[in-house]
Amino acid sequence: MDSRRSDEQLLLAVAERDMGAFRALYERHAGWLAIRLARRCNDRDLVADAIQDTFVAVWQRPQGFRGDGDIAAWLWGIAIRRLVSRLRTPGGVAAVLGSAESAPAAEDQVLLSVEYGDIGQALARLSPEMRAVIQAVVLDGLTAREAAQLLHVPLSSVKTRLYRAKAHLRAALAEGSS
Amino acid sequence: MTGWHLDDDLLRRYAERTDSLAEGASAEQHLLSCGPCRARVNAAAGVIDVAAVWTRTQDTVEVPRPSVLERVLRVAGLPAHEARLVAVASAFRGAWLAGVATVLAFAGVAAAFGHARGMWLFLAVAPIVPCLVVASSYDPWLDVAFEPELVTPYPALRLVLLRTIAVLALALPLVLLFGLVVPGAAAFAWLLPATGFVAVVLAASTWVSPLRSACAVSAAWLAVIWLLAARSDAPEAVLQARAQAGFLILAAASFMIFLIRRRRLRQLRPWG
Repeated sequence: MDSRRSDEQLLLAVAERDMGAFRALYERHAGWLAIRLARRCNDRDLVADAIQDTFVAVWQRPQGFRGDGDIAAWLWGIAIRRLVSRLRTPGGVAAVLGSAESAPAAEDQVLLSVEYGDIGQALARLSPEMRAVIQAVVLDGLTAREAAQLLHVPLSSVKTRLYRAKAHLRAALAEGSS
Repeated sequence: MTGWHLDDDLLRRYAERTDSLAEGASAEQHLLSCGPCRARVNAAAGVIDVAAVWTRTQDTVEVPRPSVLERVLRVAGLPAHEARLVAVASAFRGAWLAGVATVLAFAGVAAAFGHARGMWLFLAVAPIVPCLVVASSYDPWLDVAFEPELVTPYPALRLVLLRTIAVLALALPLVLLFGLVVPGAAAFAWLLPATGFVAVVLAASTWVSPLRSACAVSAAWLAVIWLLAARSDAPEAVLQARAQAGFLILAAASFMIFLIRRRRLRQLRPWG
């Protein structure tokens, strides 16, 4: 039964050209991957294309997974890069990071400071542009060049924004701890 | 795995994108290693039509990957559907190529070691290989894609010329390669006769099936070589400037006829 097989077993079966296992793997991962990609790119069609590219790539090279870490993390690595390469083609326009443009409600603020302390507040004070860079480079592990493509800004801007964001966080944390 | 999981509230805000960066980041980090939480996110409102994307994905992976030749043609700038049409020619099947290479290898080796008689053999075989290969690339009898082509509104002339060029690009280097082991001018003397025969086959295929015309041309050429070989021991006769000029005229004239009668190509497709 597919629901009992682990991701690793499903991937092994995919390498044996098992379409049922491929479908099970897809159903297990397409949804959350799409939600996470949609947080980087507002264009739903591009997200759908990137999901398709991702699973086509998995079908063609299941041995790309080296057996270290989670299959989910491996899939995410493929998905975000497929999204970036889709953005590289002309016409792909990304509007990025709509998250928390509206000010968070007061109780969320409290929850956040309880849950995440100073770092959460420091991050919340970053400008949307800086948060986008932090998200792409620090959290998603993209290179500066890939982040520049994802965010549609020049490479140099990614580097300066990242530098400023780090300086800003450092200052905010130092201030909070003193 | 830790005991910590996404609570329903954070999960909802994550899916709705009303969370903060720090919350989102820890949710995403957790999701990478927690299957049950991923399943809960999957159950939340989807941003894409997961079923529709699955259908597209399945369609993509179930289509056989294009052959090496087809990918080369696409890189060369041919649209995907034309690359498929050109590459499907039977001349590109491995067995066919292996057969042609073997025949050429025998002829080349014979010419290299067998002196005059081997030279005759090479001169007999090398010029007819290209026209046979070209004919087989669009003869209805050998064409696996014949029926789809018959009902497709696609210019027959374009198809025949594209396949001719692709097939020659493949066959000529083969013949040239074996020609390298042949001593003297004969190594390249077959080029003009070969060009002439290809043009004759193209022109003749506006009347009869390509394979028949290629066989007729080959038979005629073999007969000529046979007669020449019987009369003298010098293979140089075919290499003379006058003979070469004759082949050039033959090629030009046949190609003109082919272009003038090109509209007959499609009507004649059901031949064979």
